[in-house]
Amino acid sequence: MVPLSWYLMLAAFLFSCGLYGALARRNAIAMLMGIELMLNAANINLVAFWRHGVGPMEDLTGQAFAVLIIGLAAAEAAVGLALIIAVYRERRTIDVDELDLLSG
Amino acid sequence: MDTALLFDNAVVLLPELVLAVGVMVLMMVDIGRRGQNGSQLLAGLSVAILLLGIGASVMIWGRAPVEYLDGAISDGFALSVRLVILIAGVLGVLLSRNWFPAIERQGGAFYSLHLLAVIGMMLMGTATNLIVLFIALEIFSLALYILSGFYRENARSIEAAMKYFLLGAFASTFFVYGCALLYGAGGSSKFTQIHETLATGGGNPSLVLPGIALLLVGFGFKVSLVPFHMWTPDVYQGAPTPVTAFMSVGTKAAAFAGFFRLMMTALPSFHDQWAMPLAILAVLTMTVGNLTALRQSSVKRMLAYSGIAHAGNILIALVAGTAAASSAAAFYLFAYAFMNIGAFTVTIALERQYGNENDVEQSRLAGAAERFPVLAAAMAIFMLSLSGIPPLAGFFGKFLVFKAAVEAGWAWLVVIGVLNSAVSAYYYLRIVVAMYFQQPEQAGDEKEQPFVPASRSSVFVVVVSVLAVVVIGLQPGLWADLLRGLGQ
Amino acid sequence: MQLPLGIEVPIPTFEQFVFIQVALLTAVAGLAVVISRNLFHSALALTLTFFGVAGVYVFLEAEFLAVSQVLVYVGAIAMLIAFAIMLTRSMMYGRTSPLNNQWGKSSLFAFLFFIGLLAFARATPWPAAGEEVVADEALIGALGREFVTTYVIAFEVLGLLLLLALVGAVMLARDR
Repeated sequence: MVPLSWYLMLAAFLFSCGLYGALARRNAIAMLMGIELMLNAANINLVAFWRHGVGPMEDLTGQAFAVLIIGLAAAEAAVGLALIIAVYRERRTIDVDELDLLSG
Repeated sequence: MDTALLFDNAVVLLPELVLAVGVMVLMMVDIGRRGQNGSQLLAGLSVAILLLGIGASVMIWGRAPVEYLDGAISDGFALSVRLVILIAGVLGVLLSRNWFPAIERQGGAFYSLHLLAVIGMMLMGTATNLIVLFIALEIFSLALYILSGFYRENARSIEAAMKYFLLGAFASTFFVYGCALLYGAGGSSKFTQIHETLATGGGNPSLVLPGIALLLVGFGFKVSLVPFHMWTPDVYQGAPTPVTAFMSVGTKAAAFAGFFRLMMTALPSFHDQWAMPLAILAVLTMTVGNLTALRQSSVKRMLAYSGIAHAGNILIALVAGTAAASSAAAFYLFAYAFMNIGAFTVTIALERQYGNENDVEQSRLAGAAERFPVLAAAMAIFMLSLSGIPPLAGFFGKFLVFKAAVEAGWAWLVVIGVLNSAVSAYYYLRIVVAMYFQQPEQAGDEKEQPFVPASRSSVFVVVVSVLAVVVIGLQPGLWADLLRGLGQ
Repeated sequence: MQLPLGIEVPIPTFEQFVFIQVALLTAVAGLAVVISRNLFHSALALTLTFFGVAGVYVFLEAEFLAVSQVLVYVGAIAMLIAFAIMLTRSMMYGRTSPLNNQWGKSSLFAFLFFIGLLAFARATPWPAAGEEVVADEALIGALGREFVTTYVIAFEVLGLLLLLALVGAVMLARDR
């Protein structure tokens, strides 16, 4: 049996990777990819906690939450990419550093 | 579980259901409409749906709090916050009605997103479960990202929307990671269950503090607490002003409602640990918000920083962490809804006068009282109320929050809050002074611009807001009784 | 097994050994997503990470989730991202660095964050794995029942969210 802390460490690593990607990349799509990694990390945590019995085993909260988050991530990605493409059509760039109409 | 339970207490979610059905109807009507004039019909329909929602909330007002399926509750706090959000929604729709050209073509999308945002915000105040809380947060956030990009004629708008999305989605991941840790700590997603498990020594209490810290990042972004506030002025400035008005009030009300309920029903036993960090955040938020607002030249950015400072004030109520403090926060939000939307409405009217598309520079307000006496008077009332000068609504909001905090033993925090109010009075009053006592610099070309009459609906919004700010200020006891706190 | 610095590492069982490989694959792919200079390589690495996470779900005996993960993340989200990259093609090969000027601070922050999360993951005495999971079909059935009973609010509200995303994405994608 794989101990719970291994899952948590993997999740922590993925989350930190995503964090770095979301903070350090200039391209909006690359930032979005970092965000997806972070969401996945949270999901691993949820399911690992469920499997390792933080609550009663027949209480499927962890799994249910994870399934809903997967659905939600799809919606979020659709909206986010639509926004990114709309910006690209307008400005011909999605480099966040070059989008500077708003700094004042 | 028995399926019959599905219908017990379902009345808890009546306002949300009314709005959800309303969205469907709205979309059907949108399909059926012909030509350009249909968008007025859609606006009317949206207002009607929101008013029905208010009716539904009033209908379930005053009942004993009941919980529906461990996911939603109908206590006084949920109802109060719902009312604030519905009112902000109505005013927001009225403001948007004639504001942008895009609304003629895409009114169906605009109003349905607007209503969906309202549903998500209302659910935030009702949710008693991490899952519902998170999905509610995402609903209103996603709707607001899109709404802020609706002003397609201005490149700033879509750019603001994308930046808002990236930061918001980033913050949401912290939020959901925090939820996962809290689930790991309490073994359940239900607030009361988490509290029970942890209070009886079960669960993994070591996960609670990292969980709270991560949740705080998520909430901090939504209500723009200080280290997480960088997006606020950009988005407020770039988004269409009617959306900014709605968003500034709705997001604050919703996120604070969710945060209050989470912290005070799931984690009250950890109050000693989280109160102090939140107090420090409150001090930072108020101080940085006010000091930065002093330096702004654009009215919208000034209002954005003033909103940050107000978030700090409301956070004081959470630090106090009592039921009285939560009802004080509800009152504060109720007052804030009117004065802030009112201020944005006047800004919209002035934008039209000055022909400036989506913002007004403060320097142009000089001598405005002569040219637009009514607008200037209304703006003065909103500014006085925002700065907390009695006997207007804003004063009593601050007063109740500070009183609750003193009673809970946070006198030093209140002292800082009062000092900050004094600082904030400076930049609010500066606008009043500019409008009434300064002469416009180059009077020539501005005088020649014809007076652009404000739209009827924005006149209505200004009148309602002024009346509300004055009436709440004159009869604060009445409203304080009406707006309840958690579990009441 | 004794590592330097006195860290005691027990000899892994076969299951643990396989898990380590899956986890390493996931972690390396995850790292590749954020450090690759070519955006398209990032997207491919992201797809690999999604598969790896699905594998982790299999270890956690959450087969339904593993399938959903592959269907939604790999089938929908990774595809969407790939299309978005192709639609904004000029950004594919960065003329300048793909990193902004805050990457130093960001990497430090992310590293500290990782250390923090790691510290408490190691420090806490975790419960051993729960009892045996019930047979798979019964579990999926139970999950389905939960969605229309206990979690019906969340489930319905997610429906609203999907509606919103549909309306919003169509509105944004339509030419003005």
